[in-house]
Amino acid sequence: MSPPHVIVIGAGSTGSATAHDLALRGLHVTVIDRGEVASGTTGRNHCLLHSGGRYCMTDQESAIECIDENLILRKIMPDLLELNDGLFVAVTEEDLSYKERFLEACAACHISARDIPIKHAFDLEPFLNPGALATVQVPDGVFEPFRFCLAFLATARLHGAVVRRYHLVTEIICSGKSVTGVKVMDSRTGKTEILGTDLVVNAAGPWAEDIAAMAGVKVPVQPTAGVMVTLDCRLNNLVLNRLNKPSDGDIVVPQRATSTIGTTSWKVEDPDLITIPPEHVEKLIVQGEQLMPVVRKIPMRARMAVARPLIVKSGDDARNVSRTFECFDHAYDGVDGFVTISGGKTTTARAMAERVSDLVCHKLGIAAECRTREVPLASYRLFYQGGQQ
Amino acid sequence: MTLLAITLQIFRYKPGVPPRYDTFTVQVEDTAHVIDAIDAVWAKQDHTLTFRRACHHSSCGSCALRINGVEKLPCITRFSEVWDGSSPLRLDPLRNFPIVSDLVVDVSGFFQRLSAADMSITRDAEPFLPLSVDDLADVVQPRAVELPDNLSRFNRFENCIECGICMSACPTMAVDDKFFGPAGLAAIYSACQKTDDPDKVAHLLALADGEHGVWRCHSAFECTEVCPQAVDPAGKIMALRRQITANRFKKSRRR
Repeated sequence: MSPPHVIVIGAGSTGSATAHDLALRGLHVTVIDRGEVASGTTGRNHCLLHSGGRYCMTDQESAIECIDENLILRKIMPDLLELNDGLFVAVTEEDLSYKERFLEACAACHISARDIPIKHAFDLEPFLNPGALATVQVPDGVFEPFRFCLAFLATARLHGAVVRRYHLVTEIICSGKSVTGVKVMDSRTGKTEILGTDLVVNAAGPWAEDIAAMAGVKVPVQPTAGVMVTLDCRLNNLVLNRLNKPSDGDIVVPQRATSTIGTTSWKVEDPDLITIPPEHVEKLIVQGEQLMPVVRKIPMRARMAVARPLIVKSGDDARNVSRTFECFDHAYDGVDGFVTISGGKTTTARAMAERVSDLVCHKLGIAAECRTREVPLASYRLFYQGGQQ
Repeated sequence: MTLLAITLQIFRYKPGVPPRYDTFTVQVEDTAHVIDAIDAVWAKQDHTLTFRRACHHSSCGSCALRINGVEKLPCITRFSEVWDGSSPLRLDPLRNFPIVSDLVVDVSGFFQRLSAADMSITRDAEPFLPLSVDDLADVVQPRAVELPDNLSRFNRFENCIECGICMSACPTMAVDDKFFGPAGLAAIYSACQKTDDPDKVAHLLALADGEHGVWRCHSAFECTEVCPQAVDPAGKIMALRRQITANRFKKSRRR
């Protein structure tokens, strides 16, 4: 008997990692994306491989997810990471008052954090605010979201997965109360096609609502935009974070010969129509100056905005929505063969994939266990070397 | 914030249909980058337009194309750099790659070359900041940093982002589609620098010395001119030539 066919909608970090997980478990997988790999939320990323330090004081569950996944990604994609650690920097007395709590919170989440002498921090980071009061070193890293996804998809393809880029989903087809197919239009040829399926995974990020609506269900995803600014010079060796509660402009992530200041946060209606508010750019520069006063003097190389798919719980504002993820089995909404995975962040994509793949396998009666914690990923270049799809 | 009304002439191609240019007028902010206008065309006017993009900050290399004939990354190209304020801006796919659809090209052959060159996307980094802004180098002298106890070295992504811009601008590629190409040869140079294994170096140099290797380059330096990442592929091709020539002298002296 041939294995069940699962269609994953979205070739961002979640969809790519899910395709890899399901393909390793022996399922027949097709990934559909309307554009290039990582052309949505995942691509426009400040590229931080979270240590969990950012969340340990406010959202322990997210922090533990982050450090666990950080350590797994170091094993399965070692060649796709810049691993230079990060610093949490206290600039004000208020920041400093968080230091002991921060160290305790890191310990509680098994994040290895070390209070390092401020003199050493100035040596490591020549542009660090000379008024900085304390620095704590954490195992942050830097990834590249595009190659991150390519590596998952290249490995999935080696296990039989098919990736259809530039395909728009135009209809989710149901028979009775079950999803049985997806109608797609190939933007490269204009041809439409119906792909039969045993189950659909909706991994469309902030577009998950649109896909869910095609199946007649709702998902509580709030597209929440953020602005990032990339400077035309690498100013820091390590990732620099502000030691305080999460806030706008609390991080400067170095990569190659650039540094990126992130991020802001506001709710948007349509993730395809985001205008960058100039005051957000200014806010990032002002906050970035707190970490490194030289920031304002550096030309901007790029600025970008994209919507994250945050899960709404009642009473949350945009900044305080939990950064953890959720998996929805829409059988509870009366539509079977259709699940949504959303929320989370690129650092935790593999864990998100494990969760949704467990659910998919349970629903399809497949006993295979998740193997993505151990299996090293293939070269990201194999994604293209396999030819056009 | 000022809004600009910009007319784009975009190359369109779908298999089986003769290529043409389509004209779109979009409104973007004066601070926008060219990728934002392409994005606006897709979102507001034509969902059948295909183009590549991911990171929007010159890290992924996927969005490379030609703007008024010159290879650029639209994610870091502002309109003020390329637009005269009135004429339509022409967007074409990269040259010397098979065209898949509209602005999307097939990069498989390019990626095969980079794999053959054994290019790894990360490298051990110098223990100081690569200051690209001159004023800063006066303020902070590059100096070695004492690493924290738990770090044995810094590491960084390679400057090359595999965007294919150098392949598109290379006049040799236009006449020899088997030419290993600027990015691939630069990658061979870097891979030789990274290894102590003489067999590996010999293998890589043989590849560079082959029929479609460094000797096909016309020294036009177009690749170095257009590279958005200051990789200087032409300089590396010249360095490989010197290395290969020096090895030949050594061999002939041994005889």
